[in-house]
Formats: sequence, structure tokens, C-alpha cells
Amino acid sequence: MKRSAWVLVLLLIVVSCGSPGEDQTVIAADGPPARGGTVVIGLLADVQNWNPYLVEDLDTEHVLALIYPSLAIEQTDYHRHPPSYEPSLAESWSWSEDHLVLTIELDPDASWADGVPITSRDVVFTWQVQTSPEIDWLYGDGKEFIESIEAVSDHTVRVTYTHNYPYQFMDLNDGLIIPAHAWAGIPFDRWSETAWRDHVLGGGPFGLAGHTPQQEITLERNPHYHRPGLPYLDQVVFRIVPSEQGLITQLLAGDLDFVRSVNPTNIDRVRANTELQLVIYDDRSYTHICWNTEKPLLADPQIRLALTKAIDRDTLIDVVYGGFGRLGVGPVLSSFWAFNRDLASVPFDPNAARAAFNAAGWADTDGDGVLDKGGVDFAIELLAPAENELRQDLAILIQEDLKRVGVKAEPRFVEWGTLMAAMQDGGFDALINGWEEPTQIDLSGLWMSAPPDEPTFNFGRYSNPEVDRLLSEVGEMTDFADQTPLFNRIQELIVADQPYTFLVENTRLTAHNSRIRNVEANAATPYFDVDEWYVRTGPAKE
Amino acid sequence: MRGLIARRVLLLIPMIWLVATLTFVVVAAAPGSYADTVDHPGLTVEQREALRARYGLDQPVYRQYLTWLGSIVTGDLGTSFVTREPVGRLLARALPPTLLLGTAALLLDFVLGILIAVGAAHRPRGWFDRVSTVVGLVIAGLPSFWVAGLMILIFALLLGWFPASHMHSVGADDLHPLASLGDLLRHLVLPAACLGLVGAAGTARYLRSTLLDIRGERYILAARARGLSERRILWIHTLRPALLPVVTLLGLSLPFLVSGSVVIESVFSWPGVGLALIQAAHARDIPVIMGITLMGAVAVLIGSLLADVLYAVVDPRAREDGT
Amino acid sequence: MSRSRRLQVGVTGLCLLVVVCMLGPVILPVPPGIDPAHSALLPPGTAVTEVVIDDGRTLVSPSVRFEGDTVVVDGPRRSATINRSQITAVRDTRFWLGSDRFGRDVLAQLMAGGRISISIAALAALIALLVGTTVGLTAATGGRLVDAVLMRLVDALMAFPVLFLLILLATLFRPGPLILVLVLGMTSWMGLARLVRGQVLTLRGRTFVLAARAAGSTPTRTWRTHFLPNLAGPLSQDTALRLGDLVLAEATLSFLGLGIPPSIPTWGAMVAQGHRVMIDGWWLATLPGFAIAALVVSLALVGDGIQERLLRGRS
Repeated sequence: MKRSAWVLVLLLIVVSCGSPGEDQTVIAADGPPARGGTVVIGLLADVQNWNPYLVEDLDTEHVLALIYPSLAIEQTDYHRHPPSYEPSLAESWSWSEDHLVLTIELDPDASWADGVPITSRDVVFTWQVQTSPEIDWLYGDGKEFIESIEAVSDHTVRVTYTHNYPYQFMDLNDGLIIPAHAWAGIPFDRWSETAWRDHVLGGGPFGLAGHTPQQEITLERNPHYHRPGLPYLDQVVFRIVPSEQGLITQLLAGDLDFVRSVNPTNIDRVRANTELQLVIYDDRSYTHICWNTEKPLLADPQIRLALTKAIDRDTLIDVVYGGFGRLGVGPVLSSFWAFNRDLASVPFDPNAARAAFNAAGWADTDGDGVLDKGGVDFAIELLAPAENELRQDLAILIQEDLKRVGVKAEPRFVEWGTLMAAMQDGGFDALINGWEEPTQIDLSGLWMSAPPDEPTFNFGRYSNPEVDRLLSEVGEMTDFADQTPLFNRIQELIVADQPYTFLVENTRLTAHNSRIRNVEANAATPYFDVDEWYVRTGPAKE
Repeated sequence: MRGLIARRVLLLIPMIWLVATLTFVVVAAAPGSYADTVDHPGLTVEQREALRARYGLDQPVYRQYLTWLGSIVTGDLGTSFVTREPVGRLLARALPPTLLLGTAALLLDFVLGILIAVGAAHRPRGWFDRVSTVVGLVIAGLPSFWVAGLMILIFALLLGWFPASHMHSVGADDLHPLASLGDLLRHLVLPAACLGLVGAAGTARYLRSTLLDIRGERYILAARARGLSERRILWIHTLRPALLPVVTLLGLSLPFLVSGSVVIESVFSWPGVGLALIQAAHARDIPVIMGITLMGAVAVLIGSLLADVLYAVVDPRAREDGT
Repeated sequence: MSRSRRLQVGVTGLCLLVVVCMLGPVILPVPPGIDPAHSALLPPGTAVTEVVIDDGRTLVSPSVRFEGDTVVVDGPRRSATINRSQITAVRDTRFWLGSDRFGRDVLAQLMAGGRISISIAALAALIALLVGTTVGLTAATGGRLVDAVLMRLVDALMAFPVLFLLILLATLFRPGPLILVLVLGMTSWMGLARLVRGQVLTLRGRTFVLAARAAGSTPTRTWRTHFLPNLAGPLSQDTALRLGDLVLAEATLSFLGLGIPPSIPTWGAMVAQGHRVMIDGWWLATLPGFAIAALVVSLALVGDGIQERLLRGRS
């Protein structure tokens, strides 16, 4: 205890030494937002690619969204109904009677960073890129119900759909708008080899001013941004710090102003720092164990349920997430409108788990602490990404929990490439993964039976014919209210089958320096409405 | 001596060839790993084939080997799997920070090492000698990453005297050149200290025993008999010949300039060759790893050549010997 | 420190470390159970009470209160309340070196990690010894061409900075304990080969060998009586130092995340994990670091001591 007190004293000294000359006690009343200032944001990894359509990494997408514009900004009001939209490049839009044709009016004042106006030609070009088989955009499937996009005039776009369904606008809006006049000259089959950093041209609030690979990205205000007077900030700098610990260290030291994800182990330290502000919100992601249902050990849903019951998820949340997070329930997040509110989370019950194993013929006959049947031990390998410390921590705790009921789960941490390969060819027993859930509720990607030999996201090869049938039916419906009862039934079935152990619904902790105002980090992006961020003016910083 | 140098330089070429071959052999011998990195689950069969063809992975091994040799001769070390930029460009960018760090560390290493060794040899078995020996022994055994972590904790997190990582603060380019230099130096202190301290322990130990050996030599006794002061004896008559092994040590440490800082760069996010290597290792960016490994080996070869030359220049005996 | 003392201290330290790591689980009391919710990040020396419940769970905490029929186990964020009737066993024990983020006993982890680190280093040293001796002998006795080729090979291999080579190999070959041993062994035999070659060449020309040969001693006899004893000294000194280097090399690889998978972390991996919670749990990174240093220093002392003995024996 003495030593901890010593550390605490030092910590207090650190905190009070950390910001010489800054007034910590009184926050001056804010006047109108002032123009100017630089914000330094910490990133775990460098931008993967400067072309948004060649990117598979969410963090990169969020950064690119500061450079490239969108038609509209999706809001985060999806708890009772699908989300609504705020106009951006698209100033206004209207539907035809039969809801098959959407006419969009673009903001006539919008132009690219080089001064060339943003026109309907760019929207059409973007759609061509999104649907090009050569580029093969990761989310290109979302455009399959858009029959055509035509440029009616310079600032009017007509979108025609194949049929009426709840997510027409969302599907259209998905994807950043890219400059036709600058990029149309590059043939699609050369896209994957082009050094896109030399071609970056955006119409969003910021433009690329400098990039030192693996070190720093500097974005500057785009003078041609279509929202007048915005953005307030002069510069946004992204600093690459390849470790979570490093991010927090620099945030506490004042070298960084914004860290998207604070590891809960550092919560107390961040709270103790009066210059920092925490933003806590329900993320749209959940962490889970994906069981490979094709492996004989894991083929029985009762066994998978037993495995879930053996895991103390409350303690997981407590220890790994510092108490932040909700118990996972099923395939739909509890913050979404389609969540089946009658569903309860599988309880933690190691005794029931043991009973289920015994009922399936598993017992520890050789006294080595591991269940066995017919001479075979119940031993599995639990994969987790080597880069993700949180998931590694989960793996270690899960190993302990499973050991208690006699299951030997060996964690193995592999790099992302190997993990992806294992996911695709079924070369795993169990893996810890997370999904970011889109606001378009489409469960077929994960839960529909996967045809063999085709890339799929249903890594565990889960297959339930009734779920398949319901998923097809749901896909035909046009009204989300009609979809609800079927979604409820689908969730029931999936929870009963436990192809995943739904561990945690993630709560995200974002920390930023309190001199930055109007930060509205949320589940859509930590940089939500970044064009409205401003810095509280104070003594000039060097 | 010219003959000696010429022969050594000529010998360098087959050695570089051998080193390059070994690098290739190791990579080629690994089970399918080269191809793994290129593979992505989402690729279609055609895309996979195209990527392999682009990296020459569909060629038979001997062809790949010849291509590898050929490209080295032209200075092309391949293209990174991850960033798609030439490895050479990556190295050119990463080398200066590593050299800077290595030079600073070596300076600290030798200055500290010489001071401690002289102080210890001045009074052998005295309290300074004993204490420095024990401390040096312990420091030499401590893992560098552990020392780094401790120094970050104390000097960066708790005391806040120095930054905890990176080479520059954000916006350092906008500063006045002098202030920018100061910023760089502030960032340099901790990593250089970590490297230098551990090195100094070894240098001090080696030098101390050399100094003591020389002290026992006849000509020192003669000098003492002549009545020269201890100080004079130490600095002029003992230290000078001791510089010979120092020079050797320096020469041997030259390659260390390039390769010694892998761990430190990783802990401090210092943007040098070591950090690039670690990042490449985690991303399984084989061309980058191969390029850096090859460059490291070549640096060592050239370094030992330089060391030998230096030694020959300094030691007249070696010159006459002609070996 | 007097020279002769070095060997003693080194050997003592080495034996102590090896014995504790290998036999620890047998001779030391059973460590407290694992209860991450209630006993994470406890400082070294914390006394705890361990309560085993009938559903198989083990609750461990420094603060366990018995209140009539119920038992309250306190943790940093929440407390668990159980009925006395559920308890199957109670024990008072201690986290001698503290607990980590998951409530695991650090002492037990150090011992487990030590077993792995020491075994890997020892096996790798063995490989280096075998390969190095073979190559060195072959070079010394195989004629000038063989000697030249082998020595150039050794020079080329030694040109690679060790850590670079280790990283290259660790990335290419999937890390597993066996692979790691091979990788470490195959990158450290070169110095030994040079040493053996040098020793054999020198010995061959020595008078007493020539005399023995002249007296009709068979090659094997010459070997056994004259070469081996003379080789044993330098070889054991080199091995002692080499073991130290191998321990550091393995620790570095583990720290960088390129060592064996961390289901049982080695000392290097423990330091890496400990770094993340430096302020809350300084002992997690510090103690494994000390352990590594202790092992390496002991080995260095042993090596020094052997060198001292050799020098004394010569003159």
C-alpha cells in the first residue's frame, strides 16, 4: 500500500506540473466560435490508401471523410427508426410518386480544392467507380438496386432505383464523392498501382497539405469548402503513434489533442487530467467469439451455448473494458431500432455449462483437468489479432474461464494477414473478432449460409435453413415496420444456435483536450461535424 | 598498406554477393510466407495471379534469384508490399534519423566510457573502481527495452523533462531553425541516453582492463622511476596507447550505428531504420525486411573494412606486418 | 569484486534462478487462484483470502468480510456476495510479487516464464555448440579449400546484424517454441565455430601434440587427452556468455512481439505487457527486467570466472 501511495503522490505532482501557466480552475465564457487553431489527432496506423475506394480500413475511411465530400451526412438517430440525413453536397432532394426516382439538387457553391465546381458529373463518375468490377469496391454491393444515375443538368442528378425499399437514400449516400475532372483520366485497371497521394483532391472541409509516411499527416482548411465560414480550424494534424499506450502517453503529455479510443485502463488517469475531456458513447460495434461450426467439436449448438455460459462476461467487461460496455445479446445491437427487446443475454452459469458438456458425453476421465470423450481432449485454439491488445486480454481471460469447466482453449495471436486467411479458409477453431454494424440492418452478409469456395463474411460457416428463408423474405420488404417481426424471429434463432458468443457491445471512450469545442464524437465517426470544431482562444501556443 | 586496403576492398564484392545470396536463400526457404503477404482473402483467382506475376513470384526460384541479384546491382531493393514505394526510398528516409541517434549514442558511450575507465584505473580496487564495476555489470545485463521503459516513466511521464517519443513535436517545422534544432535535441536525449548508457558500461569495462594492463608495462614503471607525476603518466603515457583498442572498438561499433537501435527506436517511435524494420515485420512486408537486412550486413562489412584501415593507420606495427 | 569471487557469485546466482524456476511450483506454496474481478494489480506482498465456491469459481481478494451467513468479497469496482453454504474451501495466502491485470500471481508467472526462457536459451546454446563445433572442426581439419569456404560463409553470416537476422527469420517462420530455438541457435553458432577452429589450429602446432604424435598416439587418443581438455575451457566460457546473449535475444524478440505466442509469457513478453500499466503496476515490468538482468549477469560472472581460471592455469 505504501508504494501505491508513493506512486499516487508522484502522479499528483505530474498532474500539477503538467501544464505550467494554464488556468485550470476557470473556463472563460465562450464567445462565438473563433477561426484558427490546430488540432493534433492521434492515429494508430497510417492512412492505408488516399483513394477512398481502395480502402478497407475504418480508421482510414474516417480520415478521408475530412477531405472528400458526401452528398448528405447520416445522423445518429437510429434507435427507433432508420437514421435521417442532413444535406451536405446535396442541398435538397425529392422523391417521385412511386418512390423509384430521386432527384437531387447539388449545392451550386460547392467546388473542389482546385476551384473547379463540383457538378453532377462527379456524382455520376463516383457511381461508376463504386460499381466498377475492375476496382471492386468493398461496399459495391450496396449499389445493386440503383439502376442508373444521370446528370440532368450541372447541378441536378436523377437516381433511378430497381424497386422500393427502406434504404434507398442510404445506399445512394454510401461512399465519398471523388473528382471526375482529376481522376477520370486514370484507367480503372491501373487504380491499384497508382500512388494516390499525388492525386488527392477533395471538396470536404480540409485538404491534404503534407504527409510524412508513418509519421504525420497535415490537413489544411479548404478555402473552397461549400459551407460558408467553415471550417473554423486552420489545420488538422494526424500523428501516427503505433501503440495505444503511446497514444495515451502523448495525450497526457499534451502532445496530442484528440485520441479516438482510450483504453479503459487509462480512464482514471485521463479523468485526473483537468485539461482533458472524455466523451463516452455507445459504439456501433460489438466484440464476439466466432465459432467454426464446421469443426466437429463445435458443431453442436448446445456445446456452443455451454461455452458461452462458461464465460463470465461481466468480469470481462469489468477487467478489460474498465466496466464500460454492455453484455452482448445477439446479432443486432441493442441500440438499434430492430433489436428484439424480448431477448435476454445468455446467463453466466458454469454449473449449467458443465452439465451440458456431461450430457453431450464429455467428462474428465483421465484426471488431467480437461474434458475428453473417446480419447480426444476438448482442446481448441482461440485466435486473436496480434495488433489488438484488448482482444488478446479477452483471449487470456476466456482461456481461464473455459479452463474452469474443463475446456482447453489455447490463445494464439497472429498478424492480421494470417488471421484473414484463416477466416476465409476455415483454418481456425474460434477467433475473437469485432464487427462495426451498419445502420442498414442486413443480416444476410453474416448469417446466411455461405456458398462454398466463395469469399464470405460468415467465417464460421453458420447455416440454418429457416434463418436463410426469413432473411430472403425480409430482403423483399419495403417497410421497416413490416420487417420487425421477422427480424425478431431471426434474432431468436441465432441466439439459440450461438454461432457467436456475443461478448460485449462496445462503449467507446474518446478523449480530447478541452480547448477544442463542438466535439460531437459518436458512433458514426469520431470526427463528426469536424467542420464545426473550433479552438477556445487563449494565450498563443507555440 | 595500399595493397592491404586494395585487397580488402576487392574481397568486399564477393562478400556482398554472399550476403545477398544468403538473404535470398533464407527468404526462399521459408514456407510459402513470401506469397502469404501478397494474398488477400477478398481477391479473385485472377487478381491473385496478377499480383504474383507483378512481384515475380510465379517464376522458378533460380529466376527470382537472378532478378534479385540484378536489381541489387542497379540499386533497386524492391517495392514495399504495404506502401508500394521503393524500398530504397524508404531506407533513404529512415537512415538519417538512425545515424543521428547512433552517433549521439556512440558519443555518449565513448565519452562516458573513457571517463569511467580512467577514473577506475586511476585507483584500482578503490571505491570508485568497485562501485563502477558492479554497476556496469548490472547495467550491461539489463535489457535495453526495460531501461527505455523506465527512463520514459521517470523522465517523460513523471518529471516531464523530455518528450516520451518521436523525433519532433508537431509543428516543429514552423519554428525558427534554432528552436527546431532545440526541439530535435530534446527528443534525442532519452533514446540516445538509453543506448549510450548500456554501451558505456561495456566500453568502460573493456577500457579499464586495457588501461590496467598497460600500467603494468615496463615503460610505465620506467616513467615512474623517472619521477613523472601519476597524472602525467595516466593521461599521456597510458591513455595514448590505450587509444588503439578504443579505435578498434570504435571501428567495431560503426555497424552498430545502423543496427543497434532497433529496440530503442521501437519504444520511442524514432523514425529510423529499426522502427521501419519492426513495422515491416508486423506487416510481413518481406521486401522491406530483406532490403534492411541486406543493407545492415553491407554496412557491417564496410564498417569492419573501415575499422581495419583505421587500425592500420593508427598502429605502426600492423602496417609493417602487412597482414 | 575479487576475481575468484566472481565465479562463485555467478554460479550461485545461476543455480538459484534455475532451481527456483524449475522446481518452484513444487517447493513453494500454491499461488492464489485467479480472480480478475477482485484481485487485479495488487502490489507485491499483498495478503489475500481465497474462497472456493461450489460452482467452481475461486474468489480472491485482500478484503473478504464474513458477515453472519454471507461473505462479501470486495473488488475495486464491485463486490460479490455469496452464501456461506456455497463455500467449499477458504485459505489465507499472499501475492509475494504482486498480481497482474488478470489477477495472476507474478511470482508464478516469473517462474513459468523463466522455465521457458531458460529452456529456450539452453537448447539454442546446445544447437549453437553442436553446429559451431562441427563447422569449426571441419574447417580446421578439412584442408585449405574447405577452411576458406567455411570461413567465408561464417564471415558472411556474422556480417548480418543479429537482431536484423532474428527479425527476418522470426517473420518468415511462424514463431513456435521449436522454431524459435532453431532460429536462435542458427544465428549464434558462428562465433563458436571461429573459436573452435582457432583453438584446434593452434593446438595442432603445439609441441606436446607433435610429441604425442611422434610417440605413436592414435588420432582419437590425441583428441581425447590433448585437444578436448584444452578446448573445454574456452568453450565453456564462450557458452556461458552466449547463453546470456541468447536470453537477451529471446527476451528482445518476445518484447517486440516476434517471439513465441504469449499464452505463457516469457520474461520479455512480461516486460512488454507491463509497460502498458507502468504507473498502476510498476512491478509488472520491473520484476521481469530484473530477472533477465540477474540471469544474464550471473552468466557473465560465470564466464568471467572461467576466463580468470583459464588465464591463471596458463601462466
